[in-house]
Amino acid sequence: MTLAPPEQAARKYDLNFARWVRDNVNGGEKMSMCMQCGMCSGSCPIGTEMDHGPRKLFMMIRAGMKDEVFNSSTIWNCTSCYNCTVRCPRGIPVTYIIQDLAAKSVELGYVKKVQNARFAKAFWWSARTFGRTDERLMTAKYYWSGGLVDFVKRSLGNLTIALSMVRTKRMHIGAPHKIKDVKGLRAILAKAAEIDVRESKGGAS
Amino acid sequence: MADRKPGVYVCKGCGIGEAVDCGALESLASGDLKVPVSRQHEFLCSEDGVATIEKDIADGTVNQPVIAACSQRVMADRFEFDGATTVRANLREWVAWARPAGEEDTQMAAADQIRMGVAQASRMAPPEVRIEEGLSTRIMVVGGGSTGLNAALEASAAGHEVLLVEKTRDLGGWSAKWSKRMPHRPPYRDPQDNDVAALIDRVQGDKAIVVQTETTVAETSGMPGKFEVSLVNGAAATKETVGAIVVATGWRPYDATKLGHLGYGASPDVVTGIELEGMLANGGVKRKSDGAAPNNIAFVLCAGSRDPDHLPYCSSVCCGASIKQALQIRAANPDAMVYIIFQELRTPGTAEEFYRQAQEEGIVFMKGKVNSVGSDLTVTVDDALLGQEVPMAGLDMVVLATGMVPNATDPDKTASENGAEQLANDINPVAPIARAGDAEAENAAWSAATPEGGSILNLQYRQGPHLPMLADGFADSHFICFPYETRRTGIYTCGPVRRPMDIAESAEDAAGAVLKAIQAIRGAQAGMAVHPRVGDLSFPKFGLDICTRCRRCTVECPFGAIDEDEDGWPVLSASRCRRCGTCMGACPVRTISFDNYNVQMVSDMIGAVEIPDEFSEKYRILILACENDAAPALDMAGINRHTLNAEVRVIPVRCLGSVSMLWISDAFQRGYDGAMLMGCRSGDDYQCHFIKGSLIGQERMKNIGETLQSLMLEDGRARAVEVSIADSAKVGKVIDEFVEEIRGYGMNPFKGF
Repeated sequence: MTLAPPEQAARKYDLNFARWVRDNVNGGEKMSMCMQCGMCSGSCPIGTEMDHGPRKLFMMIRAGMKDEVFNSSTIWNCTSCYNCTVRCPRGIPVTYIIQDLAAKSVELGYVKKVQNARFAKAFWWSARTFGRTDERLMTAKYYWSGGLVDFVKRSLGNLTIALSMVRTKRMHIGAPHKIKDVKGLRAILAKAAEIDVRESKGGAS
Repeated sequence: MADRKPGVYVCKGCGIGEAVDCGALESLASGDLKVPVSRQHEFLCSEDGVATIEKDIADGTVNQPVIAACSQRVMADRFEFDGATTVRANLREWVAWARPAGEEDTQMAAADQIRMGVAQASRMAPPEVRIEEGLSTRIMVVGGGSTGLNAALEASAAGHEVLLVEKTRDLGGWSAKWSKRMPHRPPYRDPQDNDVAALIDRVQGDKAIVVQTETTVAETSGMPGKFEVSLVNGAAATKETVGAIVVATGWRPYDATKLGHLGYGASPDVVTGIELEGMLANGGVKRKSDGAAPNNIAFVLCAGSRDPDHLPYCSSVCCGASIKQALQIRAANPDAMVYIIFQELRTPGTAEEFYRQAQEEGIVFMKGKVNSVGSDLTVTVDDALLGQEVPMAGLDMVVLATGMVPNATDPDKTASENGAEQLANDINPVAPIARAGDAEAENAAWSAATPEGGSILNLQYRQGPHLPMLADGFADSHFICFPYETRRTGIYTCGPVRRPMDIAESAEDAAGAVLKAIQAIRGAQAGMAVHPRVGDLSFPKFGLDICTRCRRCTVECPFGAIDEDEDGWPVLSASRCRRCGTCMGACPVRTISFDNYNVQMVSDMIGAVEIPDEFSEKYRILILACENDAAPALDMAGINRHTLNAEVRVIPVRCLGSVSMLWISDAFQRGYDGAMLMGCRSGDDYQCHFIKGSLIGQERMKNIGETLQSLMLEDGRARAVEVSIADSAKVGKVIDEFVEEIRGYGMNPFKGF
């Protein structure tokens, strides 16, 4: 276990958080069934890349550690492989809960602090705008989301890689390429969001 | 027995015939041992074999058949004959199956079994039957709670009259105060209606049950079959005679004022589970401080339980009761947020369904130890699953799930003048047996607090007024093997006075205790012992002509069967006796005997074994094996074909407590090279059927060292060991090691003298 961060003393515990998750997060009503067996964390292929495994994340929700849950990398590093959901002996849709927690963290504005979330936002911007990823603009947007200093630092740091990518035609300079029917794609996405809002509680954006 | 007619019957079945020369055994009996009837048979337990013995008995030529066949633990009913006393010589498990076939040593062992059997017969008589006058079949049930009500109904259903005594004004006890009870019927999901009122109605409508409320027991004397009890109802006193007593005095909640660290007393909104139950039954849960319905509630489980500073044990029902209360709170107020903070959630059996239901209802379970509860209701949890301390702030109410304290004593009575010392000694599982020896306490760290209050039955016994207790103050005698039994024969406990349990378990427990009580009544009617020597008609006889009134028998009897009269002579209450023989082993002048078990009998058996001379290189080691654990372990060793050392001779004894030290010194004077007492486990997980027999045996063996030294022998030649009934694979090795050690000392120099 890593050392407790220095802000431990200032941690906030919100007793109502468990209730809020139950009422607002997709799959949250099943969360109280968790018996903390750890099957999810043990099954997670990228558990080592997470601040906390799903088991611990759930326990943190019960303990009311709202800020830590929303700032954790767990909800962003999940690859949606569904191993945990398939294996959970109590039938808890772990993946749904984690995905929706990620969506909620965007809504609640936790995203600025979390790198993975900023990256995901940049990715979505590119996908929605052009119908595909534009390596140059997406990366620039992602770096910029960390602030001016971060932007300069990381852009310069990766300049060599960028130039070789341009040379080997892996990165494109000039006007961004778009797919043929961006409007059609946006209509699809809008419809998906509408279904999501209708079918889940709140819904992802 | 005036006219002894022994007959030796050697069985050749089960491999005995192949292992030993049965013809030689037959001629040993008829020749050297001068037994008039001596036969061998292919299969003694067959119809034909049994008919042979029956014919000899019917002819009047035999009245003491010595069955040289299998262990005394098997075929007992097959070899039981009217008008005859059967002796068993174990040729199968301890000789044919445990030693190599056809060898000289094996034949010698078989011959010694025959010699010991014949010697045993020569000192046995059919037990004289002693049946008391004026026996009652009525069962007194003490305590009118859920357990007592069930006990009364069970006893009535079995055809016995019942006297139900309750201290308070109303029947029902704690259970009458509950709004709902934990589910005990499928689907085991929701709290069920409390049905104790129906139980009370059934008891009050039962003509065989006499209910006496506001009544306590002032005094109890007598014995199974005829206990004389004095009952007090206000100023009125009555005397009743009952056959057996079922104690169902239940429990009381642990004193929460001792739980200051959990906030009790600091805030009015920290309540116990009992207080919460009162609110649930009377108009709903309200904060004591402002009368508002709480929205955020935390249950603290194990409040003062499993805590060495408070109750060291688990009360087993608090987890389920808290889940029940949490579900009731949610049902009344769906907006309420309920947290249950547990260390280990114990929901055995169907209670797991109940737990799941609570989870589905959204009750949040947190695993961890509560370090403190502040006066602002902040509960600080050392969360075991997060590995950090979590302060839970903003709660409206904290419920402490306190544990159960057994009502093995009545806290409202004043403490008895005597018996406290015996009680403390009983509660402490490692207490030195001051009566048997002078050993130091093995575990000085143990501190047993004597329960407060006075005795419930106030027994007029030599050994004090209390029911002896196991650790933690529960009135029970042998938790695993003999539930319900106390160490006072004819008095049985059930329900939470015996161990913590819920309503459903108590009902089953009540039935068990009532069955035991009925056994005791029937046993007294027939003059027979109750468990574990069921059916034994013998009882200890005291030769008062040489009794020195030393009182060791009255003090050491594990069951309080022997009292003293005004002049200090021992007085036996026969139906209290369980025939272990501890008095016999204790008696320094050896004047206590049973018709079928006595000092002289075992002494003669020891003397009957042929001791090879000092040139033969053959040692002889005596093993006195407790018939409940060690002898069966040796049987099992034979059944599993483990080899039993060729040089040992085993005599089963009723209990190591019955071993007279005369036998050990006898053995060495007769030329045995070593002696071993083989008993069962002692200590706080003791397995002794007679409570402390193994410990008493060990204590007495410590004193035998001096005797050995006076004979110029090494004190290592005599030893007490403990084996469990499951040690069949180990027991042979224990013996082999001991024999090796004896070989190190060399032969007993008394051989041949």
